[in-house]
Amino acid sequence: MKIAPERFASRRDTLAFILCVAMSLSARVAPPQAQDWLSDKIQLVMVPLLWIQEQIDITIEARPLVRVLTAQRDSAALDSLRLFILTEENSQLRDLLSLSVRMRTRHVAAEVLHQATPLGEYTLLLSVGSEDGVTEMAPVIAPEGLVGVIRNVSSETSVAVVWTHPDFRISAMTADGTVFGIAEPRGTTGPRTSLMEIRGIPFREEVPIGSTVYSSGRGSHLGGAFPRGIPIGTVRSLAEQSVGWSKTYIVNPAVQPGSVSHVIVLVGAEDDIAGAFAPEQEYP
Amino acid sequence: MRGSRTRYQLGTVLLILLVLDFGLRPLFGHSRIAPDFLLLALLVYSIGTRPGNAAVAGLLVGLIRDGLNPVTFGAGAFAHTAIGYMAAWSKAVFFADNLYVNAALFFFGAWLRDVLTWLVGRHPLGSDLLWQLGYWSPLQALTTSISGVIVLLIFRKWLHIRIGE
Repeated sequence: MKIAPERFASRRDTLAFILCVAMSLSARVAPPQAQDWLSDKIQLVMVPLLWIQEQIDITIEARPLVRVLTAQRDSAALDSLRLFILTEENSQLRDLLSLSVRMRTRHVAAEVLHQATPLGEYTLLLSVGSEDGVTEMAPVIAPEGLVGVIRNVSSETSVAVVWTHPDFRISAMTADGTVFGIAEPRGTTGPRTSLMEIRGIPFREEVPIGSTVYSSGRGSHLGGAFPRGIPIGTVRSLAEQSVGWSKTYIVNPAVQPGSVSHVIVLVGAEDDIAGAFAPEQEYP
Repeated sequence: MRGSRTRYQLGTVLLILLVLDFGLRPLFGHSRIAPDFLLLALLVYSIGTRPGNAAVAGLLVGLIRDGLNPVTFGAGAFAHTAIGYMAAWSKAVFFADNLYVNAALFFFGAWLRDVLTWLVGRHPLGSDLLWQLGYWSPLQALTTSISGVIVLLIFRKWLHIRIGE
């Protein structure tokens, strides 16, 4: 480093020092107005640097605010999620209430107690049992249509097998009641498929794509489970056909059991529940 | 040519310290112990220049401090003038280029600046003075000294410092 030249300090340095000290002491004893004037000028010169400091201060003050805002945003997002669930449940309950009013046969409303078990997708635990009049083989429906059938009943709860069970079968028909077949879950992967199929449609019969298929009620007077007129789903496409023998159609199910929170269990002996479902699902 | 480049390099370091005083110092949270980069700039300048120049630089730095905190206007100007002059003078008389010596210069320069400011500013004597000069000022002097060492290590070539000799 370059050291100060000469012997420590020259006369010029000493003079400069004395002058600076005198100026600083003058500033110290100057009238307050003069001090304020000079202070204002200095602050004016320092504006760019003060602006930097102001921005830093704002950033520092904003940091905790960002945390608070983030927490509030997360809470709002969580609340909106709950709101969506509540709205969905409310909608299902309204539909169920509407269906219940139109239903002429005896029935009980039940809450679905979803269970996190490996085979939980095949069954639903319902909040109604024999004390509510529920019996084995009682149909379980939702406002949109078929859900399943009661398999086990205890005094206060019951277990319903839903249509996704590989062994589930139901006699189905078209809206005009002219074509019949057997509806079952499509494939052997059970709940992993969200589709149904109708087998055994006579080869010469045509089922329009997009039409609704209903339970036919065939055999209900002989101990069959399902009354006539429960929507099963809508025809999606032709799956396969055995020439000269029969056809199979793929069906979009009316109800996805996993999303159901409330159902109706039919406990009456009515053979036909035509007209109970939503008006747009025209039943002949 | 070389002298001109050296002046620019020194000017750059001083400008960086000036900006750091307003841009980085608030981030330390506690302003009473945050390093005083403006004083550091004065000391860095003083140890490489004549005492007269250092006194003028001290007056300017002091006026900046006083202008932003005009309660005891002039006290800072006096204190910084004295510190600048003494730093340049003592550097020429006593000290070799050594990192520890420079660190000590930064420490005592910062502490002595506070003492002079309090004396000339006619602050009330009492426990506040003891706390300030016995606790807060040494802490700030320490952080200033550490910052000064870091600055010297980073810019040793620009400042022509021979560290460790």
